[in-house]
Amino acid sequence: MMNRRDVLKIAAAGSAVTALSFPVLAQSSPGVEEVLFDPEIPALGNPGGNVTVAEYFDYQCPFCKRGHEDLMDVVRKDGNVRLVMKDWPIFGGASVHASSLVLASGDSYERALNALMATPGRLGKDEVDATLSKAGLDPSTLLAAFKKDMDRVDAILARNMDQANAFGFGGTPAFIIGTRIYHGAMDRQALLDAIATARAG
Amino acid sequence: MKKTVIGILGMLAFQVFAPAAASPGEPLPVDRAFAISIQHGSGGSLSLEWDIADGYYLYRDRVAARIPDGAALTVETTPGLVKDDPNFGSTEIYYRHAEAVVPDPGSGPIEITYQGCQEDGICYAPEIRLVDPVTLAVSDPAPLGAYPAVNWETEAAAPPAAEAGAPQAAGPADFALAPDDGLVQSLLGNGGTLLVIATFLLFGLLLAFTPCVFPMYPILAGALARQGDRLTARRGFVLSAIYVIALASAFAMLGAAAGWSGQNLQMVLQSPFTAAAVAVIFVALALSMFGLFELQLPTALTSWVAARTGATAGSKRSVALLGFSSVLIVGPCVTAPLAGALLYIAQTGNVALGAAALFMLGIGKGLPLIVMGTLGGGALPRAGAWMEDVKRVFGFGFLATAIWMATPLLPPRLDLVLWGVLLIGVASFAFTARRSEGTVLMASRAVGAVALIYGAILMVGASAGATDPLKPLATLAARGQSLPAAEELQFATISTSPDLQGKLDAANGRPTLVYFTADWCVTCHTIERSVLPDDAVRRGLAGFQLVKADLSDFDWDNAALMEKLRVAGPPTMLFFDANAREAAGTRLVGAVTVDTLLRSAARLENL
Repeated sequence: MMNRRDVLKIAAAGSAVTALSFPVLAQSSPGVEEVLFDPEIPALGNPGGNVTVAEYFDYQCPFCKRGHEDLMDVVRKDGNVRLVMKDWPIFGGASVHASSLVLASGDSYERALNALMATPGRLGKDEVDATLSKAGLDPSTLLAAFKKDMDRVDAILARNMDQANAFGFGGTPAFIIGTRIYHGAMDRQALLDAIATARAG
Repeated sequence: MKKTVIGILGMLAFQVFAPAAASPGEPLPVDRAFAISIQHGSGGSLSLEWDIADGYYLYRDRVAARIPDGAALTVETTPGLVKDDPNFGSTEIYYRHAEAVVPDPGSGPIEITYQGCQEDGICYAPEIRLVDPVTLAVSDPAPLGAYPAVNWETEAAAPPAAEAGAPQAAGPADFALAPDDGLVQSLLGNGGTLLVIATFLLFGLLLAFTPCVFPMYPILAGALARQGDRLTARRGFVLSAIYVIALASAFAMLGAAAGWSGQNLQMVLQSPFTAAAVAVIFVALALSMFGLFELQLPTALTSWVAARTGATAGSKRSVALLGFSSVLIVGPCVTAPLAGALLYIAQTGNVALGAAALFMLGIGKGLPLIVMGTLGGGALPRAGAWMEDVKRVFGFGFLATAIWMATPLLPPRLDLVLWGVLLIGVASFAFTARRSEGTVLMASRAVGAVALIYGAILMVGASAGATDPLKPLATLAARGQSLPAAEELQFATISTSPDLQGKLDAANGRPTLVYFTADWCVTCHTIERSVLPDDAVRRGLAGFQLVKADLSDFDWDNAALMEKLRVAGPPTMLFFDANAREAAGTRLVGAVTVDTLLRSAARLENL
């Protein structure tokens, strides 16, 4: 037996009705992979950790640096956190220089990063080089490594900046913990709470 | 694929984050942290001043000026404070107030850069302002905010200083959006550009079998028929392919416009005027199908083209012209079902993707035409009486399309009457069809009888106050029962995000539905006429606070609200739970049906 819908369809000699109920398809989510799992950026902490903390930072941003030791400590003590440091050089040439050398430093990545993050304030290129030397790294070797690897490093910086702009970050530091965004500096307790929130889903 | 996603992210430079006035620790929008003002100084100089909010500071060495993309200009700055905090080294900074002078700005526009931080919070990215030294007009060359295509919850970090265990006060920017991505984004994410394009090809193919596309068959058939005996399968293929490619190109231009402007096409294609015009065109087409006049391009035009290009090329060109202009009929007709997909194209802001997707949509719609054009010459029997019957069937299809297009513009119940009249017309045609013998006779009589009966029922239903063509007797049937009719839905109107926050705060434990609508949005009229008045919907939404944002008069407040909620255009429905969080997977974009609306509402009830 025909139902009324069929009848109407036949009468309309077509399918205006079909067009009316054209489905708007279901929706899902990209983006997480690109932002939290950029294969070109080394993961610190526990690379297999069940929560990822990403920090958009600059080597001259005082609050990024002041909170860095606490951040590393929280990550180490937790033992199940992946940490991704996303270079977003907003303080000009010296910052770009620092980010470039550190991203090209291969196995020494964490040592170079921590050395620069331990400096107090604004930096010049010379201070960046001096800091790296003091940490036992040769800035000229790193510079040569960067020049060979320039495309990859520049692409990382460009991706980070695009993402920061897309997220509407006003500046550094900005954190993404799990899939939640936090603008501005976070102290130890704020980090612990945010990680707990991310685990709670 | 990754490149595409990054590319899209890159285009979505979303400048200033949520205005956050409430708790002192949330970073201010940069213009409130560092309010710049510019005056003429002595001797043709420019004097710059910043009012700096409490708890914020500007770097002396990060104030600079230059000719855009050119030489740096001298900037004279006053000595700042040397902060003796170990975190700062020897940098000079300004609190509360800063001044600088550009002694020789020249006469062209100059670029001023400055940068500062929120104490203990955030260091802003450099701010750039373009200043005209003559008029002192200041502009922000940063690309205006589009919509982030990413699904992240936003939350301002709790300020370290205020971390005393006190719950954060609900600021005016406190509602949270659910992870929500559009069709196009999700396709991009899953399979890249190719999948998006392939999906649009499929959409096109589906749409090819709706009456929206039917007018193209007789138009193309007419053009091919004029070829007379020269029409071979090969030539039919070439001509119909040209027609379809021209049509698809016109669609591609629409897609590029959507991607480029970031605006949804609906505002133009779905304005009541366009809808009315298209309805009229379809009535005219129907009349031509019934033999009132012949359908073809003005002879003056075709002969003009032919005279300039020779007969063969002329037919190719005129077919291309036909295809290109056919989009005027087909475009508005198919955007209604595609509203959601088109919104998302606009949202990606990607010109190439928009153009490619809509091009494939056009090709999809044209594939059956190419088949017809190719086979038409040889396979189909020569035109005869049967052709007249086919044309009438088309005619009724066009009338149905006209009614469908016009329904949102008509007073309620009139569409039922029109459907009834149409069905009775179908009945009389079916009873008097020429080739009436055997099974054909039986079939056409059956169709005619059913059409007559249902047409009559529609008329009865309309006069009894029914509004749903699929349930014309529901009002009569309900009369016998004591089922109380659910109350009519009342929407409160908002236009700014503080309005919305106010409503959400006052929700009193109820979930909230936010509905974006506009007078010019024809799809919204359909929702308001046939979805919202539905009894099940009324009951399903009884426990909701209902809020609507009317975008009829589009202004900055509306735009800011849309940007904040990542709404690309009407119709869009958002569902917030009692805690002002949008529930995941409930957002409805484009054509909303009773089913989809109830499903989203039910998810809120079950939270």
